[in-house]
Amino acid sequence: MTEAQPTRQDAVAALAEVGIRAQQVRQADSHLRWMLLALLAAYVGVAVLMSLPRYRGSTFAAAGIIAMLVLAVAFAIVVGVRIRAYSRAGIRLYFGTIIAFNLWNVVVTSASIATRFWAMGQPSYHFGISEAVGVVPLVIGVWLLSRRRD
Amino acid sequence: MLNAAEHAEFGFVRDNVEVTDSVLSKQMSALEHAGYVKVKKGFVGKRPRTWLSLTKDGRRRFARHMNALREIAS
Repeated sequence: MTEAQPTRQDAVAALAEVGIRAQQVRQADSHLRWMLLALLAAYVGVAVLMSLPRYRGSTFAAAGIIAMLVLAVAFAIVVGVRIRAYSRAGIRLYFGTIIAFNLWNVVVTSASIATRFWAMGQPSYHFGISEAVGVVPLVIGVWLLSRRRD
Repeated sequence: MLNAAEHAEFGFVRDNVEVTDSVLSKQMSALEHAGYVKVKKGFVGKRPRTWLSLTKDGRRRFARHMNALREIAS
């Protein structure tokens, strides 16, 4: 017994279904976006805390930084174990963003130190400015992953 | 769905394709036997998880199938 050749309508319907399934996988990539957002939120939080002169070097600042980083890691783990599917493009974008973020951070930190933008006597907000520049790859990664949902 | 995904969890595919565990399990076993699907079992904490992915051959076959469908549809 041979299988019947699909009709044009069958083929159109099958192609439409392939599109729907691909979209469901792209939507599942949103977990990766939330993990990047957790990292972004932690860095922004640390930057804000470090930029406030009254908390510079205080126990409150140290505890706050640790709390934010722990929360971000815990959130990322909770989201990570809930991942049920991811696309090739999504996971590449995720790891690409992490790698770009780390490399870019090295550049920003080195430039901040070399130009004495970070130095004793400089205002606290200089740290915040460098951090704001440092998180650009994360912002781009989150944006690109958000665009993949549709 | 597996063509779009690098990896997809068994439950994710089952819920989205709207089939029962046994139906999907039989389909996946057949596709695994044919060399088109890779089934990987593991644990997240204490929960068992089954991850599905297309093999290279599976992706090639699927691409060929899609081309045939596009030709019929055009």
